[in-house]
Amino acid sequence: MKSRFLFSHKFKHLGWILFSTGFVLGVILLWNDIEYPNWETNVFPLIGSNDIFSSTIFEWTSNNIADEIASILIILGGILVSFSKTKDEDEYISKIRMESLIWATYVNYMVLVLAIIFVFDLSFLNVLIYNMFTVLLFFMLRFHYVLYKSKKLTDEE
Amino acid sequence: MKNDIKVQRAIHNLTQANLAEMIGVSRQTINAMELNKYVPSTVLALKISSIFKKSVNEIFFLDNND
Repeated sequence: MKSRFLFSHKFKHLGWILFSTGFVLGVILLWNDIEYPNWETNVFPLIGSNDIFSSTIFEWTSNNIADEIASILIILGGILVSFSKTKDEDEYISKIRMESLIWATYVNYMVLVLAIIFVFDLSFLNVLIYNMFTVLLFFMLRFHYVLYKSKKLTDEE
Repeated sequence: MKNDIKVQRAIHNLTQANLAEMIGVSRQTINAMELNKYVPSTVLALKISSIFKKSVNEIFFLDNND
């Protein structure tokens, strides 16, 4: 069966490596209030900031790029893990994939709505940070869990 | 929809893994079809019927829910 929009199976391993590297780096950063590791580098922001009330446009500045690297690793790795074909991708697995994607979207926005209602001010910034990755995370958890369950059921036959 | 795959498999002395390999799907797909948890595409139904040398109607049947 031809499945559109999916990566070849060989990218799945690379995805896991990138994702776990980004995940570990992200956890270390969150533990240290995004101050350590400090990989200060010159960056060119499209929109910079002087303070909360005014922003600069097109001006070089310096920034710890560790959190940017962690975010990109998690997103890139998560996409590769989620959307690389399984070794035996077929129409039934594609159905599990689609259902998991719908499920993950629902759960992600349910959690976000709860957070909108119950979390305020600066704490909400943390919610936004997690929410950048949760849709991929929920998908990965649900998809692999259902695959594992159906594999186990088949092995019992 | 119901099907007779399990019976046909027994008649032809095939395991789920054998049949899966012959039609190029995962073992889970065969198992899910036998448990009536998954309705296969027409392409897959035709492949299965050609393995068992029977027409599709002799292997797959509508049930009351369809």
